[in-house]
Amino acid sequence: MAADELMPTHKSHRPPKSGPTMEKKSENDKKKRGVSDNKQQNPKAFSFTSAAKAKILKLHAAEKEQKRIHLPTIDRNYGDPPPFVVVVQGSPGVGKSLLIKSLVKHFTHQNVPEVRGPITIVQGSKNRIQFVECPNDINGMVDCAKVADLAILLIDGSYGFEMETFEFLNIMQVHGFPKVMGVLTHLDKFNDVKKLRKTKKRLTHRFWTEIYKGAKLFYLSGLIHGKYSKLEVDKLSCFISLSLTKFHPLKWRTSHPYVLADRIEDVSPPEKVQMDKKCERNISLYGYLRGCNLKKGMKVHIAGVGDYSLAGVTALPDPCPLPSAAKKKGLRDREKLFYAPMSGIGDLLYDKDAVYININDHLVQYSKADDEIGDPTNKGKGRDVGEDLVKSLQNTKYSVDEKLGKTFINLFGKKTISTSSERKLEEESSESGDDETEDCVMDVESSDGKTKQKNEIHGGRLRRKAIFKDEVGDSDAMGSDQDDVEGEEDVESDGDESEDEEDDSASDSQDLDEDDVQEAEDKVLGNISKWKEPLKEKGREKKPNLMQIVYGASRSSATTPLLNETHAISDDDEESDAEDFFKPKGEQSKNLGGAINVGYVNADDCSRFVNYGNLKNWKEKEDCEIIRNRFTTGDWSKAALRNQNSVPGDEGEELYGDFEDLEAENVESGTNQNKDSEVVERRLTKKLALREKFDANNPIYSEAKELGYVDKVSKCFCHLFAVVCSLYVLFQLKEELETRKQMNMLELNDLDEDTRIEVEGFRTGTYLRLEIHNVPCEMVEFFDPCHPVLIGGIDYGEDNAGYMQARLKKHRWHKKVLKTRDPIIVSIGWRRYQTVPVYAIEDRNDRHRMLKYTPEHMHCLATFWGPLVPPNTGFVAFQNLSSNQAEFRIIATSVVLEYNHQARIAKKIKLVGHPCKIKKKTAFIKDMFTSDLEIARFEGSSVRTVSGIRGHVKKAGKNMLDNNAQEGIARCTFEDQIKMSDIVFLKAWPTVEVPQFYNPLTTALQPRERTWRGMRTFWELRRQHNISIPINKDSLYKPIERKIKKFNPLVISKKLQEELPFASKPKNKPGRKRPSLDARRAVVMEPGERRALAIVQQLKLMNKVKMIKRKAKEQEKRKAYEAEKAKEEVISKKRNREERRERYRTEDKQKNKKMRRNQD
Amino acid sequence: MGKTTYKRLKGSQSFRQRLLLATLSSTPIIIDEIRADDMIPGLLRHEMSLLRLFETVSDDCVVEVNETGTRLKYKPGIVMGGKNLVHSCALTRSMGYYLEPLLVLGLFGKKPLSIRLKGVTDDPKDLSVDTVRNATLHILKRFGVPSEGLDLKIEARGVAPEGGGEVLLTVPNVQSLTAVQWVEEGMVKKIRGWTFSARVSSDFEHSMRFAARGVFNNLLPDVHIFNDHKSGPHAGKSPGYGISLVAETTAGCYISADTAVSCGRADETGEIDVERQERKPAEDTGVEIASWLLQEIEKGGVVDSTHQGLLFILCALCQQDVSKVRVGTLSPYGVETLRNLKEFLGVTFSFRPDPSTGTVILTCVGSGLINLSRKLS
Repeated sequence: MAADELMPTHKSHRPPKSGPTMEKKSENDKKKRGVSDNKQQNPKAFSFTSAAKAKILKLHAAEKEQKRIHLPTIDRNYGDPPPFVVVVQGSPGVGKSLLIKSLVKHFTHQNVPEVRGPITIVQGSKNRIQFVECPNDINGMVDCAKVADLAILLIDGSYGFEMETFEFLNIMQVHGFPKVMGVLTHLDKFNDVKKLRKTKKRLTHRFWTEIYKGAKLFYLSGLIHGKYSKLEVDKLSCFISLSLTKFHPLKWRTSHPYVLADRIEDVSPPEKVQMDKKCERNISLYGYLRGCNLKKGMKVHIAGVGDYSLAGVTALPDPCPLPSAAKKKGLRDREKLFYAPMSGIGDLLYDKDAVYININDHLVQYSKADDEIGDPTNKGKGRDVGEDLVKSLQNTKYSVDEKLGKTFINLFGKKTISTSSERKLEEESSESGDDETEDCVMDVESSDGKTKQKNEIHGGRLRRKAIFKDEVGDSDAMGSDQDDVEGEEDVESDGDESEDEEDDSASDSQDLDEDDVQEAEDKVLGNISKWKEPLKEKGREKKPNLMQIVYGASRSSATTPLLNETHAISDDDEESDAEDFFKPKGEQSKNLGGAINVGYVNADDCSRFVNYGNLKNWKEKEDCEIIRNRFTTGDWSKAALRNQNSVPGDEGEELYGDFEDLEAENVESGTNQNKDSEVVERRLTKKLALREKFDANNPIYSEAKELGYVDKVSKCFCHLFAVVCSLYVLFQLKEELETRKQMNMLELNDLDEDTRIEVEGFRTGTYLRLEIHNVPCEMVEFFDPCHPVLIGGIDYGEDNAGYMQARLKKHRWHKKVLKTRDPIIVSIGWRRYQTVPVYAIEDRNDRHRMLKYTPEHMHCLATFWGPLVPPNTGFVAFQNLSSNQAEFRIIATSVVLEYNHQARIAKKIKLVGHPCKIKKKTAFIKDMFTSDLEIARFEGSSVRTVSGIRGHVKKAGKNMLDNNAQEGIARCTFEDQIKMSDIVFLKAWPTVEVPQFYNPLTTALQPRERTWRGMRTFWELRRQHNISIPINKDSLYKPIERKIKKFNPLVISKKLQEELPFASKPKNKPGRKRPSLDARRAVVMEPGERRALAIVQQLKLMNKVKMIKRKAKEQEKRKAYEAEKAKEEVISKKRNREERRERYRTEDKQKNKKMRRNQD
Repeated sequence: MGKTTYKRLKGSQSFRQRLLLATLSSTPIIIDEIRADDMIPGLLRHEMSLLRLFETVSDDCVVEVNETGTRLKYKPGIVMGGKNLVHSCALTRSMGYYLEPLLVLGLFGKKPLSIRLKGVTDDPKDLSVDTVRNATLHILKRFGVPSEGLDLKIEARGVAPEGGGEVLLTVPNVQSLTAVQWVEEGMVKKIRGWTFSARVSSDFEHSMRFAARGVFNNLLPDVHIFNDHKSGPHAGKSPGYGISLVAETTAGCYISADTAVSCGRADETGEIDVERQERKPAEDTGVEIASWLLQEIEKGGVVDSTHQGLLFILCALCQQDVSKVRVGTLSPYGVETLRNLKEFLGVTFSFRPDPSTGTVILTCVGSGLINLSRKLS
């Protein structure tokens, strides 16, 4: 109290209500609200001052509107979206890990000791985020840029922008621009507030020029106890979750499935690895499926490793699921899940192909469970006495399941059902496979068939191994994941062997080792369906499924009666049986095939299947009645019924329903379907209402509609109308896509889970386990969790190599131009590889002319060889990947225009020759060709002289030159006679070969810090081998030396002289011996004249002397003046300096005085 | 990578589809044991001709056949399309055999395709050119193929042994096909027919027309059958006649039936003479085809059984949306198509039989094939 009284009470802040700033503010406010203050007296007078101006304004507005809209795309992701990938990028030491740590802490209240690999967290009731730290090398940056949904660029504010940031931005721009947010850190290094403010402003503006004006740049002011301030992280997380709501779909990503692996396991058999450490490994990769659906049998590219076909794909239960749907706002604590297997934190630990989950002891009454269920599996093994004691103490009331029901990890199911046969299998598996189970093993199986768990006691700690089962295999027959994998392998290897055998028998053994895995996969699938068959039969009546008939037993279905029509044919077969013996082999089989060709390998390829034998007699009235209603003359209502009752398909499903009704889920699906249809209807009505509203709101449109597409409205309005119409079209298009999406969902929801995966593949957002075989051991050996492992699906034909043509531009920050046939490293699609491009430019006549170097500030065409990608895919090129160079590493950005199997680039070549003999219009040209063979190649091509006389190459001119001429002299004819001094050119356009070279970057197969080295550029090679640049001496510029032309005297022939007119005739005058009379004559002056001349002479002399004197005087005067001036200047300079010095001194003194006063 | 991996197949079955799908999905294939045990082993003349056709329309495709013709190695190139292409088909099969894959292939080319095919225009085994023109092209339009540029012009007829027919096919390019929901069959509102006769009397045509129309008398009045009598150079080299009937429904489905009869027979001397023994009267042919059309209508479905394969292929090539079509009883060719689609494109159909009408509703998600060879403008 006393303290309070002592302290002066603070006044509450009173917002100012007047003053110039307030006036401005209120005005702004009014403008925002659309209130105009100054009432116009005559508003009509100010409507349009100028029609032209108004028109321009309208056009401008319309154009802006057009730029804003883009073609709507359909979103084919149904169900929960995968976690959004937030990539945190920045140059080393800028605080990336710390930011991720503090964000994770903010979202989940968990501490992350170190950031290794992606960290998945549940951020809200609908959102999940996967944080990825971008490594510092360019390969990691490229891979990160390809998967990022949001990129957070960390910038050291005290240092300014670094090259990495711009490189990353450029990479992202090329691979589809995700959302970008900048964060300035290290701002606590500024002492000066003003400087800080200035820096912030400067950096913000630079950031804006790079991205767009108004791009978000965030400031983290500094560290408090080694962490970012809580408030700022809070704010930042707010922005992150805000910016994650809406995405513009990126074309490449929506058309290719991809997985960012957050866990990787080596599942190769340990014996094999022990035998040979360098053997090829089998790995399994885990991650969320993104992009689009993954179909079975699709090939994948692992970035930095290579192309592989998937040996197995399994959908696993989501390790980090979204909270259940019916929820109020916010997340509960237990729902704030967190999954980072490679960081080795949280309650999840990962071990050989399985996850271990630590659960607090008080949540799980494990020993009770052991008693009940674990016993049968543990027959042979003894148990500790102490453990028995402990168990006897734990006579708990509740069963494990009830307890488990309360735990927050919903990996486990509710019931425990296990049949004896399954148990047996498991026993076997546990005995054979798992040697490391030490004390007791408890198996709990969940009813929903999603997970199994295994408890093991190691020392004192309980580790519960959650084993994920193949979703494909619904039955419980499999012992463990490991076994499952081995089983698959067995099948595969069997398949391989059998195929190998086939291959051996085959004659051509070129590509035998390269068996396509697809077949093997088919076999695997076939196996699955085989063991599933009894299940299906159990579940339903015996009637075969149509799908089974078509796909399931396809290989052996030749004998199965396919359709009712085939019966007649089978009868025929029996008849022909007797005669089979005598017929040649081929004929027999042909007959056997008969009309029903299915299954017979050499069946006739005919789309028609006609059997005129059992045609009805349609002339009869009764027969006609059957199809009467199929004609417009029939009963329309009945015909309508025919289409109607099958569309909902409820009856059909009941009759022909698959065994799905056994499963609990599909009961819901029926209701879901109804619900969905309702939803669709509701949406449609909503849409219609919206459209009405739109029509109503656009008076121009409706007006124009009434007018019947505008007759009176001016041109300007016509344009505007077009814009509105295009908007309308857009609106309609959007609606169409929406209905299509709804329809898709409706149809797909109809199918049961297995068929759905068959039909549409694995859906995006599912957590997948991908198994890949025969990966180089280096991938496992040099695996670094800090580098992202990107697995991208490959579409049809994208694993074939071919020529691609791209529009390329050298990056403006790269200092040199690029040289043709110098290797560049490109990042294109999912891949990174080195290739050798040839640059070209398109001429007027569609010719692609080769360029030796890229233009400096212009686009050019680059043709290169590599795995094909669809047109319109962007790529970015590098030359040097090492991290320790100061230069900007991106050398060019580009977009693929088309691909081709031919590269048609031509280069200009000029053959130069000289005539060696001229016969009228024919000339023999030497030096142009070296052999007669060459001439034969160029027969008929056109040549030209410097003076412009055109001609053609005829033939090798051997026999015309008396048979003694050397090789390579061509006979050419010209339109006019040429001169011996002429030079003859032949212009030709030979095609340029583009080297068929590409080298995938195997950066994951070497230590990450080592720079990948591939083919070297010319420059590097020259420098290494110390070779100077070869110089063609002829190409050097030399001073032009011209001899002085000596002209002979003009000679006119006598004959000509005679003919010339006299005036033009040269007149030959003979030389005079004596001087002429004029020269000899003497002039004598008169006395008067002589005097006058003398006077003038004297006057002139006097004047001259006078002038000399005057000049000397002037010079003297000037000298004196200059000396005076110099003297003065020296003095003034000196004075000036002293004066100034004095002045400054006093000023400084005064300032200091002032400052001191202020400080006081 | 590096080496190309070939998909291995066996036998000559569904040769056209295998080539077509291999080209579209750019999968190199090796087909072994092509009629290895037959009297005439290896590839037949029309199959070789088809390979040549594929070479004509595409760029840099590699075809290798061993000496006996029992093993084929095919590495697809890029479909180029282009104008003024000419291909003379082998005479063992008619034009329908070549047109079926070519129509689909042309859609995914770099440039619009315009090709002149020479050979046999009609035979009883394959689609006649009239049917292709009046029914098949309409099916294509349903999948978003623009109707301008999609045309088949019959310039000369030619029947079986000697051929001599000529058609001009133009196919536009598409970026991708749009998925269809095509379950409504509608009711038959009109039946149109086209008969032709080449190097024979037009009486054959008239009797066929008359007989065929007689069958529809009970059902529909709107039946019109056009005739097309050819003579001279436009009639080809062999005598024959044929009929093609197309029923159009209110829902825009086209159901067709056709056949052709060849009266010619090639002698050893190479002369052609009209042979009359053991040939059905023309009236019977007319009735047969009309009845066949009605049978197809009875079976139901949005296309007839001959076009099932094409329909399934188009569905599978669509964007990644759900296509839903209704067909009558699945034909063996259709089933074979479904298997091939699964093998090459990984597209699986799901089936739902509709017992009340005896039809099957097939649903699939398209493979999302995009015409990649088109140049970016």
